[in-house]
Amino acid sequence: MKNSNSIRCFSFLALIIFSIVPGKIKAQTDSTAKTEVAKEAATYTPLIEFISTQKSDNTVDLKASVKAKINGTLAKLNGLKIEFIIGADSTAKKLGEVVTDNRGIAIFTCKPDQLTTNAEGKLNFRAIFAGRDSIESAEELISVKRGRLDITPVKEDSLLSVKVKLVDLSTGTETAVPETDLGVFVKRLFSALKLGEGKTDEAGETTIEIPNNLPGDAKGNLTLLARLDENEVYGNLEASTVQQWGTTVSEEIKELPRALWSSHPPIWMLVTFIVLMTAVWGHYIVIIFELFRLRKEEPKTVS
Amino acid sequence: MWTFFFLAWILVGGYALYLQVADGHIVTGMRDNVVWGLYIANFIFFIGISYAGAVISGILHILKVEWRKPIIRIAEMITVIATLIGPVFILLCVGRLDRLHHLVLYPRLQSPITWDVLAISTYFTGSVIFLYLALIKDFAIYRDAKLKIPKWRQKIYKALAIGYRGTPSQKKHISVSMNLMAIIIIPLAIIVHSVLSWIFGMTLRPGWHSTIFGPYFVLAAIYSGTGVLIMAMWVYRKMYNLYDYINDKHFIYLGYIMLVLGAAYGYFTFSEYLTGWFGSEKWDNEVIHKLFSFSDYGWWFLFANVAGIILPIFIVAFPKTRKPGWIALASLFMVIALWVKRYLIIVPTLESPLLPMQDTRLEYVKYSPTWVEWALTFAGIATFFLFFTLMSKFVTIIPISEFGDKEKEKAKEIVITKENEIAPA
Repeated sequence: MKNSNSIRCFSFLALIIFSIVPGKIKAQTDSTAKTEVAKEAATYTPLIEFISTQKSDNTVDLKASVKAKINGTLAKLNGLKIEFIIGADSTAKKLGEVVTDNRGIAIFTCKPDQLTTNAEGKLNFRAIFAGRDSIESAEELISVKRGRLDITPVKEDSLLSVKVKLVDLSTGTETAVPETDLGVFVKRLFSALKLGEGKTDEAGETTIEIPNNLPGDAKGNLTLLARLDENEVYGNLEASTVQQWGTTVSEEIKELPRALWSSHPPIWMLVTFIVLMTAVWGHYIVIIFELFRLRKEEPKTVS
Repeated sequence: MWTFFFLAWILVGGYALYLQVADGHIVTGMRDNVVWGLYIANFIFFIGISYAGAVISGILHILKVEWRKPIIRIAEMITVIATLIGPVFILLCVGRLDRLHHLVLYPRLQSPITWDVLAISTYFTGSVIFLYLALIKDFAIYRDAKLKIPKWRQKIYKALAIGYRGTPSQKKHISVSMNLMAIIIIPLAIIVHSVLSWIFGMTLRPGWHSTIFGPYFVLAAIYSGTGVLIMAMWVYRKMYNLYDYINDKHFIYLGYIMLVLGAAYGYFTFSEYLTGWFGSEKWDNEVIHKLFSFSDYGWWFLFANVAGIILPIFIVAFPKTRKPGWIALASLFMVIALWVKRYLIIVPTLESPLLPMQDTRLEYVKYSPTWVEWALTFAGIATFFLFFTLMSKFVTIIPISEFGDKEKEKAKEIVITKENEIAPA
């Protein structure tokens, strides 16, 4: 009896303690709450990373990546309207506007007829963010010379290679650019895989060998890219060609030998499952049937 | 009095549940790395103690052990109630409960979670049938006893007795059904707990990926089920003066079962950790180090093994302590120790991820349960006791139909007609 009373006292005490403990006392504090407040009050300065890529078809891709330092880390800003402009102050011409995606990136493709160069034969591009709410305005400028990469596939017997030529277009005529490092890549699922690099000669050309055992698509096609990356004069240049030089890889989804994500369970598992479930639920059904019979057999004489 | 106390606990749990639903799982201690905590430990614990009825009652029924009769009702009630409460903790643990029906609509047979859903629901159905079969004869006795109880209760007893009048043919139907259930419930219970262990064992995580996890879990479940059964017997015997039915012999026999199971459980524990330690695999070592380090989980691990293995063996082994009170006390410690063991299986492993943690804030690295989790845990335990109390108001704790006519009359007098209540009051 004495024990029973002590247990009751202890239990009620515990109940009261738990009842009066404020809801906000937790093992962890919610660190996100303060951040939200900070977000409302602070003003952020966005950083624009702006690059141009001149393609062999004379178009230019303009890519602006917008980030801002929020709570000590660089966050990608999406939903911001970026204005792309070509030309210097007096000759400036708006190319168009693009809203940043969830990676904080806005890409604009500039057509050949929109391209205007200055007296030095340079292309001047600007990416402008006008500012919004708590985000300050920002601007970034690129000035690059016009240039072009040409890629020519060469097949000699079983030897595969590409000849890449770099030319300068700033003077209005095509001038070969020597002593410049170029890279050749093959397009893969997520990014380009580097196959080799070479330095241009007096004719602005370099030849890079291509392996003959690269996996291609269902027809064996490979997309080969020649690139000049982050060059001080020309920025980025790119040229591509599609060649049937790869091994064929079927696009058909083959049945995987065994994986958790397989669409069907293995046969043995299905059979085991059906046998076990049938055995157990079969027993249940027999028992329920027995109970029905039991009810049926109730003597009639008993009221 | 006790009913109100349990209801009060459940109310506190209800408030905690409201907070968890309103604010999300941020109110729990679970984070990206430690995604399972108290809830899953409770789930395994409750499914484990459900073994009391399934295996103990099933085996003793098949072996036609006479001394089982006064205790089987308690065992079977533990099974049904624990199987009902255990899975609720899964629901508390998972997010996006609005997609719960997807488990039924889009089951993937190759997923251990699907196995678990199917196994537990099948096991619960079996346990209810097993309990009901054992109750039919008692319902017939309640129906015929002309008790001063409300009419609705009389009607329920009449309906549940399904016309049983004790004819030889009816007795045969019950006997055939009971035998079938006793046979099927044992492998079923083993499958259920093996499946539960495979949720851990099928993953390549240190401390979980073990071939003996199936039998280890099954053994621990029967062991903890025996402990809960002994405790329930001790409480009911003391509270309702059932010394004529539940006597010392029952405690000693179940004590022997506990001793054997304790020794086997100790052997499995030793084998499991020795293998991991001897292999010295990097990640296994990390978990083992946490379990043996007194600055980490060392004290808990020591408690789980001393109270869960050594104490029950010693108490039952020595004649001086081989007494109902001591055996019940050892059971209490053992059951708590086995709950701690379930916690130690889950948390240290999750605190040792295979990939480096991106966010190394303390609450991400180390799990500590919040008051919400504790409140819901105690609410679960209170629900278990509440259901047990309510069920024992509706049916007799001692299955009176299992006794001979003379004994039956005596039992009726004590457990039925006393104060016009069905159960001891």
